[in-house]
Amino acid sequence: MTALEKALTEFKQVERSACSTSVLHSLDPRAKTLVVLIYIIAVLSESPDALAGILLFWIFPIIACAMGGIEYGKVMRKSLYTLPFIAFIGIFNPIFQREPMLTVGGVVITKGWVEFVSILLRGLLSVQMALVLIMTTGFYRVCRGLGKMGVPGVFTTQLLLVYRYIYLLVEEAIDMDRARKSRSYGRKGYGFKMWGTFVGQLLMRTVNRAQRIHRAMVSRGFTGELPSIVKMKWRGRDTLFVIIACGLIAACRFVNISAFFS
Amino acid sequence: MHMSDALVSPAVAGVAAAVSVTLLAVSARKVKNASTENLVPLMGVMGAFVFAAQMINFTIPGTGSSGHIVGGILLGALLGPWAAFLTLASVLVVQCLIFADGGLMALGCNLLNMGVCSTLIAYPLVYRPIAGDGRSTWRVMAAAIVASVTGLELGALLVTAETELSGVTALPAKEFLGLMTTIHFFIGIGEGIATAAVLYFVKTYQPSLLAGYRAETGKHAGNYKKAALVFLGIAVVLGAAFTWIASAYPDGLEWTISRITGSTDLPAMGTAIARTMASVQNSTSFLPDYESTWSGIIGCSIVVALVWVVCAMFTKKRHAA
Repeated sequence: MTALEKALTEFKQVERSACSTSVLHSLDPRAKTLVVLIYIIAVLSESPDALAGILLFWIFPIIACAMGGIEYGKVMRKSLYTLPFIAFIGIFNPIFQREPMLTVGGVVITKGWVEFVSILLRGLLSVQMALVLIMTTGFYRVCRGLGKMGVPGVFTTQLLLVYRYIYLLVEEAIDMDRARKSRSYGRKGYGFKMWGTFVGQLLMRTVNRAQRIHRAMVSRGFTGELPSIVKMKWRGRDTLFVIIACGLIAACRFVNISAFFS
Repeated sequence: MHMSDALVSPAVAGVAAAVSVTLLAVSARKVKNASTENLVPLMGVMGAFVFAAQMINFTIPGTGSSGHIVGGILLGALLGPWAAFLTLASVLVVQCLIFADGGLMALGCNLLNMGVCSTLIAYPLVYRPIAGDGRSTWRVMAAAIVASVTGLELGALLVTAETELSGVTALPAKEFLGLMTTIHFFIGIGEGIATAAVLYFVKTYQPSLLAGYRAETGKHAGNYKKAALVFLGIAVVLGAAFTWIASAYPDGLEWTISRITGSTDLPAMGTAIARTMASVQNSTSFLPDYESTWSGIIGCSIVVALVWVVCAMFTKKRHAA
């Protein structure tokens, strides 16, 4: 079951890159989350046919990767997986929007194609920034940041528990799958009946395990919320980071770039 | 069904986020007050279960393709609507952040389309009435299938509405809706049968899992319906209000201009200077609109490439050091 193994690798990759150190790593998760949200709003508020404006926003994930010591190619590759669904919706634009917009050596490019490219680009850029956020912060600290920003404790606890349990369960599912494969004499895939039993079995195991873990947690003083071990403090450099980043985003958003270059 | 940021406008994403954050807050309060001792850890582990189960595909006979479970109705049946919504929301957050499944800005939309539709609408309003007390296996099976189809179709409807309101796609709403609802009808049936299979297993081997929840929350059953309806109402009103804003926003100015002048281009200034300038511009540039778009794209590409090169050099140096 490559999907499960792939998922586990992905998790470990994110966790590993969140553990390294850089300027971006040392900033407050709240500052980074805020900037990423503002960035995405700025990109999304560009009109779909304003390709040049959206293109300029590409510099942000590149700079962020450099600041965070992450290979940009890695982020790019990861974000490419999200393209099929966007392309599926976006491909209708070239079909319906046939007004000419550009010419390349005599070939007329329609508005639809410009919009299609800019929709793909919007998708890639927003995904890349979210990836950089998680790769320089880690899931745990993002959740704690959300908690500090007023997200209810029940939900942040839920997020943290889900995140921890995913490792356990995916490993459990990989084990079960391996056991099944080694006894299935070359039969591939899961027939429906087999699938029901398999997933049901996984659920049973999961619930039993959760009950054991919960008892252990209660006996150690768990009251429904996980105590935080991360000390989060908003410093001057976080304010500076937010101001500079927002200034740059505003400049890219509001300066008429086409007019500038022509 | 995960929506990407590329398909929503900030206005639509903002409204969806406001509705789903409100629902999250309500769910969090409900779950906190539920005082069901092991609900919180069960939620955690069930979220992880749904996540893992989504990766185990079953083969669909005769088609050569495969499907997997989405999990909204299953979570509802095991945890109740509010806890199920919180759990599904946490799975969506993990998928969004770690796997880039669905955008960060579109998270509100995804919570509505995939979370609210199945756990807070289809589960209490469709699954519960059909499944009844859960003693009849056939009723549970039928409820799982009908509720899954309802949840997914509602989700498909919302995806269409959100994308069309955002004004990103050029695909007409009618065709888009037809496409989405047809696809999701079949996905819904698959999801329903899969949910029924897992519920059947649970009912056979550990019925206490289903019964435990029923005994705990049976007396509150009426509240869920009322609350779901209230929120549906709020969503519709908000949606309608913002439809107007969202649809007026990108083209409002052009629309006004076209109403006034009969053309979307601003009338040429009548002054002599403006006329001179216009004639100069016309003589120096061929297809002025095209030109400025092109030079913008080329200029921005150069800037991006330069930044990329500089950053790459900077990163390499750091690695070497």
